[in-house]
Amino acid sequence: MSVNTVPCTVKPTVTLQIGDAETDSSRPGVYVIDVTLPIGQTVNIQEISFKNYYTAYVSVRLLRRDGEGAAKWTTCLRNHCLMPSPHTEEGSQDYCSVYRQQMLIEPDNVTSVRLILRQPSSAWLNFSVEDIKIHPCLNEDSEWDIPDWLSDLTQVDQLCDLQGLPDPQTVSSSIQQMWALTEVMQTNQTTASIGRFDVDGCYDINLLSFT
Amino acid sequence: MAEKRRSGGTSGMSESKPTKTDTEREFLSQAGVGELLRGALLKMVEARSEDPMGFLADHFCNQASEAENGTGGCCSDGDLLNLGAGAHEQQQLSRALWHLRLAHHSQRSAFSNNVRVAYDLLTQTGPQRRGAVGPSGPAGQCSSNSPGGGVRGRLYTHTLQCLCSEGGVPVSTSAPLLRRLHCQDHEAVPYDIFRHGVLTCAVFSDYIRRAQRLYAEVCGPAEGPAGRTLCLAVLGTLHEALETSRSNEAKVSRYLEASAKISPGKLAQAMAGAEPAGGNMDAKEFEDAAAELFIARVRVVC
Repeated sequence: MSVNTVPCTVKPTVTLQIGDAETDSSRPGVYVIDVTLPIGQTVNIQEISFKNYYTAYVSVRLLRRDGEGAAKWTTCLRNHCLMPSPHTEEGSQDYCSVYRQQMLIEPDNVTSVRLILRQPSSAWLNFSVEDIKIHPCLNEDSEWDIPDWLSDLTQVDQLCDLQGLPDPQTVSSSIQQMWALTEVMQTNQTTASIGRFDVDGCYDINLLSFT
Repeated sequence: MAEKRRSGGTSGMSESKPTKTDTEREFLSQAGVGELLRGALLKMVEARSEDPMGFLADHFCNQASEAENGTGGCCSDGDLLNLGAGAHEQQQLSRALWHLRLAHHSQRSAFSNNVRVAYDLLTQTGPQRRGAVGPSGPAGQCSSNSPGGGVRGRLYTHTLQCLCSEGGVPVSTSAPLLRRLHCQDHEAVPYDIFRHGVLTCAVFSDYIRRAQRLYAEVCGPAEGPAGRTLCLAVLGTLHEALETSRSNEAKVSRYLEASAKISPGKLAQAMAGAEPAGGNMDAKEFEDAAAELFIARVRVVC
């Protein structure tokens, strides 16, 4: 699970039910949660993570901004099951992640995410998801370049044509020690000078007077 | 030998036994034997020589002659000073070399201590001032600062030559190195340069021994000399690795990259790629070529 998340606002849940919200006393079975990014920002989503609280199914819709600037809602996850049996506890309080690879469309240039939560069972008083985090894609080549020599490593076994040649292991060991000794010498060089004043091996007074 | 102490008892007997204990202990502490033995044991642990008896004998000999010279140099008159100057210098040189031989250069702190001791020994040589004899007198040693403020150039060069030859390096091979480390005979060599020279010579002798062993490995079980292209290929990998790790930043990745160039796989590749034709290279030439790689990276003393 990647650590970096995009700062976003989670709006309060909206219930969807048939009939009048105030008079109807039955509990709703569908909630909608909107997660918006700050105005003007878009994100390429790598992962959406959250903590489940008794939600049975979740659908995810994305508001994407395409090239021309128009925004469009598309479904990227349809009825993803979080609880195998809505009446029982299993999966009810799990930490879940929805990855880019699971989505139906490429979640790029997203400005808003809508989570549609469903819980058909009447066993639970309440359900929702908590702690929603959106993780952006990391740039592939941002930090480390793999150096060329790493991909160039050869194994001794690969070369079988070594008849008549000295054993590479012993030769390599000697060469490595010689290299290490030279490095020791180089790192212990002193920058002190003995303080000579001669110019080209000569202590001519006229030359010295210019130093 | 258990000594019984009696609290009271007969006067005659009890008096003699406690005094005997006290005299022995007093005697040992007055003579400073504890210090002597402790110094000897510390030196022995540092040096870890294979011949402990011989090492201890040498150590005590050195200590004795140093103690002698310390007072002797002050009290003797002019004749002895002039005559003994050459011999005295030779003695100090051999003593300094003995110290330098005690620890291998990889034992960094022990080696540095020994270099310091050798440097101090060598700065004491040279004609002592007449004036110094009078004031210091028999009470203390002569001042350890030679008139020049360092080791004389001639003595320094001589020390380096002895180190190289004792390490098994032929004179012709070490000559280019000594040219880089050379100081004029009359110059006073400060401690940093002395240490640099000594360490470089010690590392160089290890390096040459390794190169000699490498030549034997490259020759393999065959009796004759090794192929020229093969030797050059092997030394070429070392040259490449040294070039790679040369940067002043000493980044870890550069060391890794350099070490990848001398891995067994890379060497096998280089050796397999060497053409069989092209004559042979004898041991001396190989040694010189390897030495050149090392010496090219030694900083010239200036």
